[in-house]
Amino acid sequence: MIEAAVQKRLGQFSLDVTINEAGFTCLAGKNGSGKTTFLRILAGLTKPDAGHVKVNERDITGLPIEKRGVVLVTPDSSIPSLEVEEHLLWGAKLKRVVVSNERLAAVKEELGIDFHGQVGKLSLGMRERVVLATALLSAPAGLLVDEAFSNLHEREEFISSYRMLTTDAGIDVVFSTQDDSDGRLAEHLYSIENGKATKRF
Amino acid sequence: MNWLRAIALTFLFLLLVPIVVLLFYGLGPLRTPIGYGPEVFRSIALSLVSSGLAAVVDVVAFTPLAYYLARNRNRVTESLVDIPVSIPHPIIGVALLVISSPITPVGRFMISVGINLFNSILGLVIALVVVSAPIYVKSMQPYFESRDPSPEQFAMGLGASPLRTFTAVVLPDSSRSVISGALIAMSRSLSEFGSIAILAYYVLQSPFFGVSPAAVLIYQYYSYFGLGAAVTTSVTLIAISVPLAVAVRFVRRE
Repeated sequence: MIEAAVQKRLGQFSLDVTINEAGFTCLAGKNGSGKTTFLRILAGLTKPDAGHVKVNERDITGLPIEKRGVVLVTPDSSIPSLEVEEHLLWGAKLKRVVVSNERLAAVKEELGIDFHGQVGKLSLGMRERVVLATALLSAPAGLLVDEAFSNLHEREEFISSYRMLTTDAGIDVVFSTQDDSDGRLAEHLYSIENGKATKRF
Repeated sequence: MNWLRAIALTFLFLLLVPIVVLLFYGLGPLRTPIGYGPEVFRSIALSLVSSGLAAVVDVVAFTPLAYYLARNRNRVTESLVDIPVSIPHPIIGVALLVISSPITPVGRFMISVGINLFNSILGLVIALVVVSAPIYVKSMQPYFESRDPSPEQFAMGLGASPLRTFTAVVLPDSSRSVISGALIAMSRSLSEFGSIAILAYYVLQSPFFGVSPAAVLIYQYYSYFGLGAAVTTSVTLIAISVPLAVAVRFVRRE
C-alpha cells in the first residue's frame, strides 16, 4: 500500500498529489505534468515542501533513499560496470533476499532476458529489462517506474508480465507513462496534469 | 581572418615562450654538463618518487571527497578545499614545520614515536599531498558531477549506503578519470617549490641521503653555479615532466 499526499513548489510549477493505492498503478501525463517530480518525492530524491509518504503503513517521509525500501527505476538506472547476472542479483544480495535459481530463471524467461555480457554495452531496451528485473528480485516494498517501459518492443506484453510478477511478489508498483492508453494494463489509473492528479479508476 | 583563433594562439605562444627559450639556451649556448649530471638525476628520481607517492595518497584519501562535493554542493566545504592552494606555499612549509616541532603537543607526540617531517621523505610527501590534493579534488569533481546520477540513485533505492554506492557503482568505471587526475596532481607536485624549500630542502634518508627535490636543486644550482647550470637542469626536468602532461591527454581521450 502506497499512501502519499505531497506538495512541492518548483518556481512557477506547483505539485499537489494524493494517492492511496496498492497493486499496479499507472500515472499518465504529458511532459512537465509532474510525474517525475512526484515519483522522485516518493523515492526520497526530492524533498516535498509538505505532506507525507507511507509505504505499508510505515512513514518514510523523512528517511534517506537507502532506508525507504522504495526503488525508482528510470531508463538510465542500470549499473554499467556489472555483468547481467551480477546485476540481476545485486539488489537482492544487498538486502540478503534469497533468490533461488528456479526463480531467477523464471523471471529471466518471463521478462525476455536471454542475453549476457556487461550491462553498459547492452541496448537501451535490454538495459531496461535488466534494471526492472533487478528491482523486482530485490523485493522492495514499493517499486516506482519512471517511463522505463518505453524502449521495449512487445511493450504491452512486457508490462503485463511485469504486473503479474510484481503482484505475485506482493510489490506495489507505480509506473509513469505519457500514453493514457497504458491505463488498461494497470489496476488503477491516475492522470496527472499541471501538478494535479485525478483518479480515473 | 578568425580573430578568436589569432588571439587565442598568440597568447598560447606567449605562454610557451619561456619554455622555448629554456630549451634553446639550455641545450645550446648555456649548456652546462652539471645540469644533466648524476646529482640531477638523483634529484629528479626523488621528485618523481615523492610526487608519485603523493598522487597515490591523493587518490586513496581524496577521491571520496571529490565525489562527496560533486553530489552535495556545499560552498563552505568547497572553499575549505581551496585554502591550501590560495595561500602562499611557503606558509604550508612553515605550518608543517611547526606541527612537527616540539612546540606543539602533536609534534611532541610525533617525536616520541619517531616521526620526523623535517628533511625527511615523509615530510616531503606530506607537503606535496597538501598542495596537490586540492588540485586533484578540483580535477575530479567536474567528472563526478558530469556522471548521470541515475545508477547511483537506483543503487541507493535498492538499499546501498552512499559509501557502498561510491565503491561499487561509481568507482569501477572511473579508473581513467582517476588516473588522469592522479597525473595532474603528480605534475603539480613535481613543480612544487615553496613549501618543500622550507620543509625538505634536502632529504636525510636513504636511498636519497643528501638529495634535494628537483625544483629546489634548480634554485641551488642557480645560486651556486649561476644561470647556465640552472637552465640546463631545467631542461632536464622539462624533458621528464612534459611527457607526464601529454600522458594525461592520452588517458582522458576515449
